[in-house]
Amino acid sequence: MIAYVIKRLLLLPLLLFLFSVFAFFVIQAPPGDFLTSYIAQLAASGTSMDRAQIDALRQLYGLDQPVAVQYLKWVTRVMHGDLGVSLDWQRSNLQLIQERLVLTVVIALLTLLLTWAVAVPVGIYSATHQYSWGDYLFAVLNYVGVATPSFLVALVLMWLAFRYLGISVTGLFSPEYVNAPWSLERVIDLLRHIWVPVIILGLSGTARLARIMRANLLDELHKPYVAMARAKGLPEWKVVLRYPVRLAINPLISSIGWYLPQIFSGSLIVATVLNLPTIGPLMLRSLINQDMFLAGAIVLIYCLLAILGTLISDLLLAWADPRIRVER
Amino acid sequence: MSERKLTRRQFMGYAGLVASATVASACRPAATAAPTGTPAAPPPEAPTATPAATEGPTVAPVTAATAVPARYREAPMLKELVDQGALPPVDERLPEEPLVQPVVEEIGQYGGTWRRGFLGPSDHNNYTRVAYDALVRFTPDGGDVVPHIIKGWESSEDFTTWKLHLRPGMKWSDGEPFTADDIMFWYEHIVLNEELSPSVPGWMRNADGSVAKVEKLDDYTVQWVYQGPNTVFLLELANKDGADKAIMNLSFVPAHYLKQFHPDFVEKEELDAKVKAAGFETWVELFAVEAMPHVGGKRPSTAAWVPDGSTVSDQIFALKRNPYYFAVDPEGNQLPYIDHLRFTFFADVEGLNLAAVAGEIDMQGRHINMTNYPVLVENAEKGGYRVLTWPTFGGCDAVLMCNQTFVNNPAIGELLRVKDFRIALSHAMDREQIRETAFLGLGEPRQPVPAPWHPYYPGDEWAYKYIERDLDKANELLDSIGLDQRDGDGFRLLPNGERLDLEIQVIPAFANWPDVGQIVVQNWADVGVRAHVEIRERALGFQMRDTNDLMIEIWNDDTTGFPFTGQPKQDPRSTIALTFGPLFRKWYETGGAEGMEPPPEIKRLVEIIDEAKVSSRERQIELAQELFRIWADNVWELGTVGLTPMVQGVVVVNKDMRNVPETAGNDWPLRTPGNTRPEQYFFKR
Repeated sequence: MIAYVIKRLLLLPLLLFLFSVFAFFVIQAPPGDFLTSYIAQLAASGTSMDRAQIDALRQLYGLDQPVAVQYLKWVTRVMHGDLGVSLDWQRSNLQLIQERLVLTVVIALLTLLLTWAVAVPVGIYSATHQYSWGDYLFAVLNYVGVATPSFLVALVLMWLAFRYLGISVTGLFSPEYVNAPWSLERVIDLLRHIWVPVIILGLSGTARLARIMRANLLDELHKPYVAMARAKGLPEWKVVLRYPVRLAINPLISSIGWYLPQIFSGSLIVATVLNLPTIGPLMLRSLINQDMFLAGAIVLIYCLLAILGTLISDLLLAWADPRIRVER
Repeated sequence: MSERKLTRRQFMGYAGLVASATVASACRPAATAAPTGTPAAPPPEAPTATPAATEGPTVAPVTAATAVPARYREAPMLKELVDQGALPPVDERLPEEPLVQPVVEEIGQYGGTWRRGFLGPSDHNNYTRVAYDALVRFTPDGGDVVPHIIKGWESSEDFTTWKLHLRPGMKWSDGEPFTADDIMFWYEHIVLNEELSPSVPGWMRNADGSVAKVEKLDDYTVQWVYQGPNTVFLLELANKDGADKAIMNLSFVPAHYLKQFHPDFVEKEELDAKVKAAGFETWVELFAVEAMPHVGGKRPSTAAWVPDGSTVSDQIFALKRNPYYFAVDPEGNQLPYIDHLRFTFFADVEGLNLAAVAGEIDMQGRHINMTNYPVLVENAEKGGYRVLTWPTFGGCDAVLMCNQTFVNNPAIGELLRVKDFRIALSHAMDREQIRETAFLGLGEPRQPVPAPWHPYYPGDEWAYKYIERDLDKANELLDSIGLDQRDGDGFRLLPNGERLDLEIQVIPAFANWPDVGQIVVQNWADVGVRAHVEIRERALGFQMRDTNDLMIEIWNDDTTGFPFTGQPKQDPRSTIALTFGPLFRKWYETGGAEGMEPPPEIKRLVEIIDEAKVSSRERQIELAQELFRIWADNVWELGTVGLTPMVQGVVVVNKDMRNVPETAGNDWPLRTPGNTRPEQYFFKR
């Protein structure tokens, strides 16, 4: 087991290197560069620069050099733990990501908690009460939850909040706390705002997980060992929770691996609509603007999360299900 | 009183800046009579300096309209600091002759926070427009340039030398004196530094490409010396405010602050350490950040509000009043009235619009979508705001620019260069339908020429040339130029028998231009011309402009009032972001070696622009009118609807905020709302 983990970790730098090459060149693939999109933005604000100014900027940012040279310069810095400076924000990429990371993780974890806390019981209920009135009700709710794009839910919620409460629910803080250092008051302010994105983000995930849980559990419920346990006189709730649930939950655990990076990027549109200071919108913006150092840095972090996430779910799976333990 | 020593001849020469305002007022009835139901065709405000234009050689700038008050008052928040001894008294903070800023409605009250929304670091001009921190500024109607930081100017008889007079005793926001050295630092250590300015900005160059001279005469007098006459100097200077985050767009900087980041003043090792600490690779990058108040966050400024340490990269970009601001109202109250300015970041423009509807924005036109106008008006009472409309300064809010150097498909390229073809396309368009559908019935169908009240207006004949829908005429013209063959679907074939299919690129940047495109496609189908709309992402679309891959593109013409400064769309040489004729530009850039030689009428445009830069104001006006006559007559751009508030002209204003004019000149060179003097806005409690 330990050898397995070590092997996986040793592969990490190589994978990251491959990803970084891939990411950088994909970001560079669309026509134009940062300055093309910068000029486009300026033009959309009603201004235009002359060629001399643009050439000067291109030189300043090193965009006049070949892509390979730009990549090498960037990757050398990355290897020294320096993620470079964002062309768009004129600030260190590390700083930009760091200040958004905490909130991104908090939202991701809360969403995960909410998803599981709702989906697992609903799944169990639906499976054990198959074709009941409640099962149908949850089924309908689940279909709606899966089918409705979460950004649309966000927009509707924003409008409703404005229409009936007269407030705009965007952002994660009240104005006075946005730039403030962390304090108890700021955390409380955060908690007052964070439920909106957490519910919206959790909605489709919950619905999907509940359906998976229901299906898995239904498979298990009719197996002989369940009948055996029941025959032995265990109370029904114990029968269900003790064995079939534990097996039915396996696929959920194995999905944590891709859940981690997905919660970072998957919240992108919702976070943009809701104006959340998380990594998603930062990434979207960097891609649109061809701010390749920042985009590259974020993609690298995503890759790292995907690799670590897979490792974590493997470990969790091994812990939860003795049958699939990796033995050498 | 400001110093303005002028001979009569000199005055006549450039007082055209003032004259424009005169013409403005003369033309006003025509403007308001426009039968279009526009909510507000902007009749410019009564020009401030006009009486002098007919009188004599003393041009009274705006400031002179009111005498300097005998004593000064200040905001309570500053009074407190003075009482604590943390700040010198107001009399010592103001220059000897402060700018006396007239108020739009009434003398204001101090206090409050002005809330705006912005879209992140690339939206830096949101700040520039409010700060509008320049040596001279445009008036609210945009027809005139008036002293601002400087108290006056003089030019030589031949307009080669421009002498600027600073305000003795004026200070930066940190209390350091503002002197001629702050202009000289910019000239000697920024403009003339090859690392910072690999190429000298166009307005600082003589005709032969050499750099104009800037000389310090004394602590409060600086002069620019050009080799030849330069009559657009003041117009250019009015936009030297660091817009676009470019240090090349400055004309003065706090020398005392920037010295610490410049190798002429700091040891190399020390500077390298600073560069490294900030995460940059070269000192140029660090300097470019520190030189901008809104990017560095710490640089002292002369604007009414200064950053409190936050920058345009933050979630909230906050500004506070500049305790040393050099202007007072006519009663001697130091401006600005409003204590704080707060820009809130929105990742999404619709989120910003929702905030405006919810009444969370106090005064803003930028990023407010014209299509939301009905929703805004509907919720105005609930949100506690009113909605003003400031139509653009001229031109047209959706034009179809025909690429005159399109070569990818030679047959279509040839066609786009045929004037009768363009005229036929113009007659086939249903502009009234476009106005109703895409512009909410606002504005008027017209060609891209300046507004009727603008001195450059070439006349109704040209503004409305070829705009009536006349399918017979269009069909006749199309038949006459060899497009008389049709395919089975009734669409016309090219003379060579190939299929004719025009592509209209739309970058959905401002308004529902895609709708405009779709209507035009239908309209053209009525005369057998097949076309389709291609919606592209901005960067790609701009790249394709540059690489000459576009046939026709929809964009706006918001800088029509300024054909002789900046990057006018009528100048084929000017900008890299123009569909007009990328190969013409190349032809000019390479001295005729590459690209495509422009036809005589386009060469004439270039001649006009070059002549206007060295001509008297009267001649400039003549030339501009000729330019727009050529422009409208040749229909390189097919105008649709103009004089709408589409470009940042739907303005949401808190119901308590006063001194915001009901209408104003609205255009980027005017830095709207900067030209309406935001420092005298206030919250009436």
